[in-house]
Amino acid sequence: MVNVILKGVTKRFGRVVAVDNVSFKAEHGELFTLLGPSGCGKTTTLRIIAGFELPDEGKVFFDDVDVTLKKPYERETAMVFQNYALWPHMTVFDNIAYGLKIRKLPKEEIRRRVEWVLELVGLKGLENRYPHQLSGGQQQRVALARALVVEPKVLLMDEPLSNLDAKLRLRMREEIKRIQKELGITTIYVTHDQEEAMSLSDRVAVMNAGKVLQIGTPKEVYMRPRNLFVATFIGRSTLLSGRVEAVSGGRAVVIVEGSVRIKGRVAEGYKVSPGDPAVAIMRPEDFSLEPPKTEYNVLEGTVEMTMFIGLFNRVGIKLGSQSFKAYIDRDVDLRPGDRVRVYISTEDVVIFPRRGWEEVEFEAVA
Amino acid sequence: MGGGVLKRLTFFMDPTVATLLAISVILFTLFLIIPLITVAIEPVLPGPGGYVYTPLDVFKDPTMVRLSSSRQPVIIRTINYGGKPTTLVVIVGPNYGAILNTLLNSAVVTVAASIFGLIVAFVMARYDFPGKTFFRVLAMVPLLMTPFINAFVIRKIFSYDGIISYILHNVLHLPILIHIDYLAGVMVAQTMTFWPIVYLNVYASMMQIDPSLEEQAENLGARGFRLFRTVTLPLSLPGLAAGAAVVYIFSMEDLGAPIVFREFNMMSYRIFSGLQAAITGTIPPYVSSLALILLAFALAIFLAIKKYVSLRQYAMLSRGGRWVPRVRRLGVKGLLAIYLLLLPALLFCASPQFGVFVFAFCERWVGTFPQGFTLKYFGEMIHNPILFTAIRNSLMYSGVALLIIVILGVSTAYIVARAKLPGIGVLDAIATSPIAIPGLAIATGYFLLFSSRIFKNTPLDPISSGPWLLLILAYAIRRSPFTTRAVFAGLQQTHEAFEEAAMNLGASRARTLRTIVLPLIGLSILSGALISFVYSMAETSVSVTLGGINRAQAPITYAMYDLLYSGYVYGPNLVAVMAVFLISIQITIIVVTNIVLKQRYAFIGV
Repeated sequence: MVNVILKGVTKRFGRVVAVDNVSFKAEHGELFTLLGPSGCGKTTTLRIIAGFELPDEGKVFFDDVDVTLKKPYERETAMVFQNYALWPHMTVFDNIAYGLKIRKLPKEEIRRRVEWVLELVGLKGLENRYPHQLSGGQQQRVALARALVVEPKVLLMDEPLSNLDAKLRLRMREEIKRIQKELGITTIYVTHDQEEAMSLSDRVAVMNAGKVLQIGTPKEVYMRPRNLFVATFIGRSTLLSGRVEAVSGGRAVVIVEGSVRIKGRVAEGYKVSPGDPAVAIMRPEDFSLEPPKTEYNVLEGTVEMTMFIGLFNRVGIKLGSQSFKAYIDRDVDLRPGDRVRVYISTEDVVIFPRRGWEEVEFEAVA
Repeated sequence: MGGGVLKRLTFFMDPTVATLLAISVILFTLFLIIPLITVAIEPVLPGPGGYVYTPLDVFKDPTMVRLSSSRQPVIIRTINYGGKPTTLVVIVGPNYGAILNTLLNSAVVTVAASIFGLIVAFVMARYDFPGKTFFRVLAMVPLLMTPFINAFVIRKIFSYDGIISYILHNVLHLPILIHIDYLAGVMVAQTMTFWPIVYLNVYASMMQIDPSLEEQAENLGARGFRLFRTVTLPLSLPGLAAGAAVVYIFSMEDLGAPIVFREFNMMSYRIFSGLQAAITGTIPPYVSSLALILLAFALAIFLAIKKYVSLRQYAMLSRGGRWVPRVRRLGVKGLLAIYLLLLPALLFCASPQFGVFVFAFCERWVGTFPQGFTLKYFGEMIHNPILFTAIRNSLMYSGVALLIIVILGVSTAYIVARAKLPGIGVLDAIATSPIAIPGLAIATGYFLLFSSRIFKNTPLDPISSGPWLLLILAYAIRRSPFTTRAVFAGLQQTHEAFEEAAMNLGASRARTLRTIVLPLIGLSILSGALISFVYSMAETSVSVTLGGINRAQAPITYAMYDLLYSGYVYGPNLVAVMAVFLISIQITIIVVTNIVLKQRYAFIGV
């Protein structure tokens, strides 16, 4: 088990900078997730760690050993591929035993370890099946077993759950977490699914456009986003923009639409001054219908649309020329055109300075 | 940047990659690039007497280039035929010298084959009618390998005592006889033989067009010819360009038709006869210049159409059909056109191959109709020492070439597809280039290089050791693209993650190749190799030019040429028997690759 350290790793494909000066340290035994939208460079980063790609700049270390120029087969990582990459011409047993045969283990030992790992992933008795005779979930487990059985220094997982249906995905998520903790292998996990990242990871690195924007525990990146992208990409968020009226003690008041004032925490690492354009980022689930007596954070508007999403109704509310979204108890009967008044706590609002219009486009993510 | 390249090289290089790369680079350098360079520099080296005969001198030679035809293209005479005055129309075509004749011929054949191929492809791709499968098979018949003998049959059909004249004179009772020969004959024969190459390529292109693209155009009001002109044709251009380019090259380097129609004023024939003279005496000064010009013409056309297709597509086209293609039924008028125009045209183009079978099974065929039925010529395959030796030689050469091709094809395709080495595109281009390089240029290069002092008395020297090794190497190089492309396609269809998973688990590249890659693409290798084998058996240009150096080592195609022109009475019958033998191998392998191996390739080689 090792620490995986990336120092200033950059990878270009032609003119596209796929990975842009990425540095991080995944601790020994940790489940470290690279999270970001498709094309953000997370898979390329993983492939650099596995040795399938050569970075243009920067270095990769396993503990203090520089592995940047090592061949994939010299690294002792084990990867679970997005499409599983189970060899179609080999049985489950042969697929799993492959890495052990390369390590020249005695036959008896191989049999024992394959049995052990099949038990671990819950696939006992399927040794002689071929991959095409397995369900998607079973294939996924075989791919995991094949990687785990060689007791790798580092386990690499590239969107391992993306090909499974929603229910199975939830189950496998728990399985993976259980097995990873049981074996204590340093794991780098790649996903675009922020919910998956939140529920699995010890720490998350949020990536966009090749850059790592924030590294932290799931709670940290959720509660204390350092960046407008992180704020909108992690969890669902909705935003209102306006001008800063007053700042004090890490809190700021933003005037949106006439006399409507929103008070919130200024995002970590940022400074705002009165008069600056700013955005207030809020989670739709943080709104409530019974506002206390306060001059801030009471938003009254017109219902634009409602959408039933289970426990809540997702309600679009028009406030002057802007709109925002709030999750409201499904038992409250709201229809387009109704007036509605919602409240959000100061602790649940994050204020970012607004630099340009391009940032507002993150609304699309929310 | 230089340091970056070095870093990449060391990162992606390992013993296996180095070995495969070395195999590929060494074979192509020694047996393709250096021979071609020899062709290119030979013209500037001083010949006997210190005189340098350059390609420019070739253009001043009136037998090579002349601006007015030395003969009348059509001669009309009134003769007494069967006691009646009859008009004899002899069509021979003009003679502007070997170089212009070759260009004119290739242009005419390419245009004619493209028009016919395009029409047939469109009908086959977009309409449904009873008997379509029969039409499809019929359209492929001209691609059956019948070196020399198909042109021989065509010449017979268009002779003054052939079928065409017979129909005009004896059936329709017209006082007219037609005789086609020389350049005109070459044009007719090549068009009849090569048009399916265009048809197959365009058909594949049309089947790959997403039906919704045409539906959208129709939806906006385009129909009929406008739909064809504005959507279908532009989207089929890659196929048309590929097919036309291949026809152009094949036409330029074809030897069979010029020999049969006695059109000796063509580049291919002049190179051939020059090399024949070189075997016994000295090489005429113009040979290497002509080979160089031929090579330049061939490569020029590929550069010209590069916009439409990348070279690699020529060797192999998938037959397409990822979606349900857009076919519709024909009305009465359409059906009449299909059965009364298209069917006779297809039958006519296939007639040389039918004629070959007639020749193989008839006692003799002198005059208009064949006489007698016999199987005795098939017995000659074993009893006639010329036939038997030639067949044995060809099987041996093609078999050994096959081994080289598999090693070369797998090495090259794997390196190109998988090793992320800088500059690998060059190897890719070189590996595919034999499709575009005229065999006669290779034959000239081999002869010049390996009969030179450097290789004297080595197994490569064709004069002292005979041509056997050069033939094997020529087959291997010329036919390797079929296998390379098949393996490459196999690798492309196999997700690289299979290999990465193995290397990730600690398998070296060699082990990954052996345990993962080869089992997964075995069928691609096999089917590519079978195709290479078929076309090695039927290789003509190098076989005929170098095969005669030592008759005991001559391959099938040389024997066919020899039997046809050595004045042997039953020569055509024996040649036909050998053609039937080649056809049986070809059909067997088509059936095996398509039905047993389920590899769907369109064949374009001849």
